[in-house]
Amino acid sequence: MSEDRQASGPPEVEETVQRRRVWRGPWRSLVFPLLVVAAIAAAIWWLEYRPDSGSFAGDVRYGPVELPAVLMAPGMEVSPKAGSLAPDFLLETLDGGEVRLSDLRGKGVIVNLWATWCGPCRKEMPQFVAAYDRYQEEGLEIIAVNVQESRSIIRPFVEDFGIDFPVALDRRGAVSDEYRIIGLPTTYFIDRDGVVREVFQGPFLEGLQDTQVQGAIAEDELTRRIEEILE
Amino acid sequence: MAEQDTLRGVGWLRLARELDPLRATWRLFTNVRWAIGIIAFLALASLLGVVVPQVPAGVRGDAAAEADWLAVQEDRFGFLTDPMNHVGLFDVFHTYWFVYALGLLVVSVAVCTVSRFPSIWRAVTSPSKRVSDAYFASARHRFDYAPPAAGPGLEAVLRRRYAVERYQEGDTLYLFADRFRLAQLATFVSHLALVVLLAAALVSRLSGFSNGLVIAEGASEPVFLEPTHPDQMQVQLVDAVGRFSLQGEPLEYRSDLVIHQGGQEAKRCTTTVNSPCSYNGYRFHQAAYFGFGADIRVRDLSSGNVVYRETEALSDTLPSPRVTVRDGDGDLLLDEALVLTDVLSSDEFSYYGRVVTLEDGRVLIIGTSRTVGSDEWQLAVFEPGDGEDTVRLLLREGESARAGGLEFTYVGLGGVPAAFVSDFPLPPAASAGGSSGEVLLEMGNVVYGSDEASAGTAVPVDAASGSPELTIVGLQPQAVSLGPGESVEIGEYEYSFLGQREFAGIQVRKDRSDYLVWIGAGMLIAGLLVTFWVPQRRLWAKITPARIYLAGQAGHLVDFRREMAELARQAGAELDEAEGQESDG
Repeated sequence: MSEDRQASGPPEVEETVQRRRVWRGPWRSLVFPLLVVAAIAAAIWWLEYRPDSGSFAGDVRYGPVELPAVLMAPGMEVSPKAGSLAPDFLLETLDGGEVRLSDLRGKGVIVNLWATWCGPCRKEMPQFVAAYDRYQEEGLEIIAVNVQESRSIIRPFVEDFGIDFPVALDRRGAVSDEYRIIGLPTTYFIDRDGVVREVFQGPFLEGLQDTQVQGAIAEDELTRRIEEILE
Repeated sequence: MAEQDTLRGVGWLRLARELDPLRATWRLFTNVRWAIGIIAFLALASLLGVVVPQVPAGVRGDAAAEADWLAVQEDRFGFLTDPMNHVGLFDVFHTYWFVYALGLLVVSVAVCTVSRFPSIWRAVTSPSKRVSDAYFASARHRFDYAPPAAGPGLEAVLRRRYAVERYQEGDTLYLFADRFRLAQLATFVSHLALVVLLAAALVSRLSGFSNGLVIAEGASEPVFLEPTHPDQMQVQLVDAVGRFSLQGEPLEYRSDLVIHQGGQEAKRCTTTVNSPCSYNGYRFHQAAYFGFGADIRVRDLSSGNVVYRETEALSDTLPSPRVTVRDGDGDLLLDEALVLTDVLSSDEFSYYGRVVTLEDGRVLIIGTSRTVGSDEWQLAVFEPGDGEDTVRLLLREGESARAGGLEFTYVGLGGVPAAFVSDFPLPPAASAGGSSGEVLLEMGNVVYGSDEASAGTAVPVDAASGSPELTIVGLQPQAVSLGPGESVEIGEYEYSFLGQREFAGIQVRKDRSDYLVWIGAGMLIAGLLVTFWVPQRRLWAKITPARIYLAGQAGHLVDFRREMAELARQAGAELDEAEGQESDG
């Protein structure tokens, strides 16, 4: 069926023209068909990966920002790791204001990345609310960085849970990327010098699930960490 | 000698041509047996992909979850599990060999199509309008007849449906007639359709995305588990609606959604089973509906802050016996589907019961019990005390009995949606330090699938079957029952039942191969319709004073000899009935 008939010459009237294949050289017989396939693949690729009109670019003013030089410490890197200076960021807040992490230098800061859809985030939030009430006057600041949710979803939650510390909106997810989170919630304990003292990944109650007094223990654990960053 | 050299040279050329790797590749790709072999291989692989359990989408890529899933498969496939997993039989459609085979088939079809195109295009655009006289005696479709004495003539008949060209040579007239000449190109449409369909399969396999979300009314869920995925969206369920017939058959499921992206509301839409909501290349399908959710809020009275706000899915069912109790005069003292709050179970039996206080103050303990291995729940009625008139009864479903001056009827057994919830905030008095623990939630009087239940995010209090009632067991020694909007203060906590909520299962898919499937299917249908319903016909005629000869080409399904005979009749020829029957040619 794939016989090369060029050598024998075509009959006067080709009875089986539908079955006839003609070797017309590598370019026309192989490269051209492959280019046809490549063209189809390219068209599909473009349709698959072209920018979507519905994507939100977000306000690029908000996100990670350069840590002011005066706040840098010699020999210390800026990184979201324990022992490093916490990366600075500027974010809009739920109430329409702005919050910049470096403006809180001199205070112990908890940065809690969360979302309302995150069940463990919901469960641990009352502890942060209680801790803020208790330690605010001693210099504790909490920034609840919400990851990419809308105000209309966040606001009822914040009102219900009585959150009175800044709720920052990481609309583009840029701060979450900068802080290299792999899941929610993730909590950073940052001391008065802007140094990350501990990174707590996962729900703050993690590992305490089996105990009958998990809440009390969790509260003690939180208290210990807060007192460390307020030293 | 020179002739021998020439022959030797031709032999070398032929050998060189045979060994040319490009030509060999071309031969392979244009070989129909090769293409059929690939198709058979893909068909077998697809069959295996359907018969052999495949790794669920949610498990794929998670090494630990995959290992757990494979451990379950070992029960079925034993020692074959590892080798089957090694060759990819548990994930056939994502294996490199399956994708390669699809790719090879695409290339094969493309090479085959392009190789055939020049000869077919030439046959369409530059047909042989003159044929040798010998062809009239050798053509597969041929017919001849004596010139009729009268009639319109063959040329006139042909011109009604054919494009006709004529050539005169002496007293012989040659005609060339063509009909549906472009129909030959339909084969390319069909072949291109195959390429498009195969491309659709590749696109679907390689870049398709699917994730199932279960969302309670008022809540939202992210589309991607990775919090900062570039396409991250949150799907908020405003309202889930399930409508059912009086017989309980589902009539309609739909969900009103708000899709958020980048911290902004991006789209509001309604999704149904057949009409998914689309945004940003993703489709949001209504995949499931669940009507029994309880919206619960716990507030710390000392601070006023909410410490717990969840919509719990009551996905279990606990027995709920319908019981009537009448006094000696036949007056009804109790007629209720009981929500049972006391749970006792052992290796031998299960028991669910509760304390019931009748209107006259008489206290009974009513419950259902079942021995392990039995499907029958029996009604147990027990009255505290040890007098002669105290009630001790065990009834089967439908039975009635008198005891202690009362008549008991076990009308039937129903069920109530229920769930055991761990990590539920307990009042300080119920746990050391005011912490969390397990409670049992049961929701009686649920409104299932009625318009009332599905019309809004909250069930109206005056629903036809009564307002739902949430029973919480475990907060204090006695169970707590709350209607929609009701609260109870225990210790320093306030527990509120905000109402019955519904859940929707939303399947989020991104699969742009859909449009390719539509295009490919359309092309395939068009190509086949043209091929089978309007096949090309090409006819040559040689008209001499003594005889008229016809020869022609047509598609396989055309009985062209019969058509030739009909043309001759229309031209005025008088033919026998048998003339025009198809011959072998």
